[in-house]
Amino acid sequence: MKTLAALKVLVVEDEALVSMLVEDMLGDLGCEVVGPAAEIEEALRLAGSAEIDAALLDVNLGGRPIFPVADALKARGVPFAFASGYGEAGLTEPHKGSAVLQKPFREADLRRVLEGLAAQVV
Amino acid sequence: MTVLEADAVSATEEVANLRRRLAEAQAAHADEVRRNEAFSRIAAAIGAHQSLGETVQAVIDGGVELIGAQFGAFFYNVTDEAGESYMLYGLAGAPPEAFANFPMPRKTAIFAPTFDGVGVVRSDDILADPRYGQNAPRRGMPEGHLPVRSYLAAPVTTVDDVVLGGLFFGHRDTGKFDARAETLIIGLAAQAAVAIERSRAGEAGHRELTERRRTEERLKFALDSGRLGSWELDVGTRAYDASDICKSNYGRTADQDFGFDDLVATIHTSDRERMLAAMDEAIRTGGDYDIEYRVVIPSGETRWVHARGRAAVRDETPVIGGGVRRMAGVSLDVTERKRAEERQRLLLNELNHRVKNTLVTVQSMAAQTLRAADGLEAFREAFEARLIALSQTHNLLTEQNWESASLREIVDAELEAFAGRERLDFDYARDLRLNPKATVAIGMAVHELATNAAKYGALSTPEGRVTVAWSVEPLEAPVRLVLTWTERDGPRVTPPSRRGFGARLLEKGLAGELSGVVRLAYDQSGLVCAMTLPLAALEP
Repeated sequence: MKTLAALKVLVVEDEALVSMLVEDMLGDLGCEVVGPAAEIEEALRLAGSAEIDAALLDVNLGGRPIFPVADALKARGVPFAFASGYGEAGLTEPHKGSAVLQKPFREADLRRVLEGLAAQVV
Repeated sequence: MTVLEADAVSATEEVANLRRRLAEAQAAHADEVRRNEAFSRIAAAIGAHQSLGETVQAVIDGGVELIGAQFGAFFYNVTDEAGESYMLYGLAGAPPEAFANFPMPRKTAIFAPTFDGVGVVRSDDILADPRYGQNAPRRGMPEGHLPVRSYLAAPVTTVDDVVLGGLFFGHRDTGKFDARAETLIIGLAAQAAVAIERSRAGEAGHRELTERRRTEERLKFALDSGRLGSWELDVGTRAYDASDICKSNYGRTADQDFGFDDLVATIHTSDRERMLAAMDEAIRTGGDYDIEYRVVIPSGETRWVHARGRAAVRDETPVIGGGVRRMAGVSLDVTERKRAEERQRLLLNELNHRVKNTLVTVQSMAAQTLRAADGLEAFREAFEARLIALSQTHNLLTEQNWESASLREIVDAELEAFAGRERLDFDYARDLRLNPKATVAIGMAVHELATNAAKYGALSTPEGRVTVAWSVEPLEAPVRLVLTWTERDGPRVTPPSRRGFGARLLEKGLAGELSGVVRLAYDQSGLVCAMTLPLAALEP
């Protein structure tokens, strides 16, 4: 179990304004931002090899689903949450039940979700 | 005269007498044969299931022949398709024109016993009958009537004493119809009643059949027009009967066999259990069967079918528990509707995604603006300007069905709000179309550059100018768009003490979002922003 302070969070988000918001919020919470990755190849590279504790994934990356990145994180045992305007309805079957941050969200929502992820970090 | 002679005379008389009696017997026999033949013809005509008119004609002709009448007529009531009752007649021994100009016979004293079904009227001379000539205005036969003296009329009634009509026979001479003729006509009237009733029943049946056929044709037309297939299932034997359209709903041609097992096998494996359960339920409860399921037709294509039906007991008596013997219903190919629904669902999801994303974008803009603003009034001004800039790019995209926007139009739209647009120069070989994501990103970037120029840069003085130039660099992979914003002749530029929202959005946000490089150079002659962006990330 880790605290949010210095938690290394991979951010995958393709819209500049949104990732800037997430970066600022994560900064306020004391986390360290890895990324943000705006495209799937970069996200896969970071998910596979970067030093990260948790990840926040935009479900739709420029029209391409994020699920391969989620699978890579799962394989590595890195806890993650989806950020989506669809809510859980936007998730495919194997990923239902994963943590979801419904857009738009407040800093307190992000903190709650991240604390949940940090609790899974061994 | 001797005894012998007397005997001879007597013998001769006897011979003559015998001859006469023989002739009489022969004539009677011939009569009998003729009557038998007449009866046979009548019976044959009745048995031949002819039309009402033909049957009536056979009866009149037979009657005339049986009793040696000159004229015969049969007046009878018919009911037309509209239910109106009117009288028709058949004639023998006279052309139809003989009656054409007369009104139908009324229930006068003469005719009443016949039309009321009271009994036979027989008269050796109708002109001498006390019942004749009693009724105004004619007081007898109308001018031009057939010359009738001998008269014989019998009502034609059913076994239930319903009067169907009357048989009338006449002869121009008196005393032509005897008691035997009367008996014959009574027999004939009875036969005629049976024949007419049968003929009417046949015609009613034919009408009903015609009506049923019409109804079926209408139903078939309605089913065909609606592309509705119809089907029927015998619950006990599982015999399944499908119409041609029904078969086509399951990808079969009209000449292909399609039984219940074929139906079940055609239904998508994921929907099969649900379909069988729904059918069982309808059979068990006698309720409605109403289901939509996927079918995999022989070509391999998956289509949607909506099937409706109702379980019915074979006879009308309600049977408790398992009384359903058959199900009948319709089927409709609803693939197009299902696809439209799916498209609509995706569209709605996409819209929701877009709205939610826009809300986060606005949330982010508010947060970023607030961090940099010196007070609420400044916040409001900057925030509203950014909100409108975002809205401008949305307008351009909406015009193009949210598919793309032209780079030139994006720049124009964002600069519309600023004074001094005449101090803007363009330098490019050809316009480009950008995808929605790039449109919003570049739109926001141009807005930040223009805002900065109006506040601190070239657009803050009357002499300052801005050049927007772009070109595609195809020589080095990946193909890139090089877009530059160059300010000159404005106030002397110094790099800002702190990096504001605009700089962050351009150098980090835009570069990251579009996978390119964005550089801000605070040249003394003016700000230069150079964006090098891979074309693949920009194109629709």
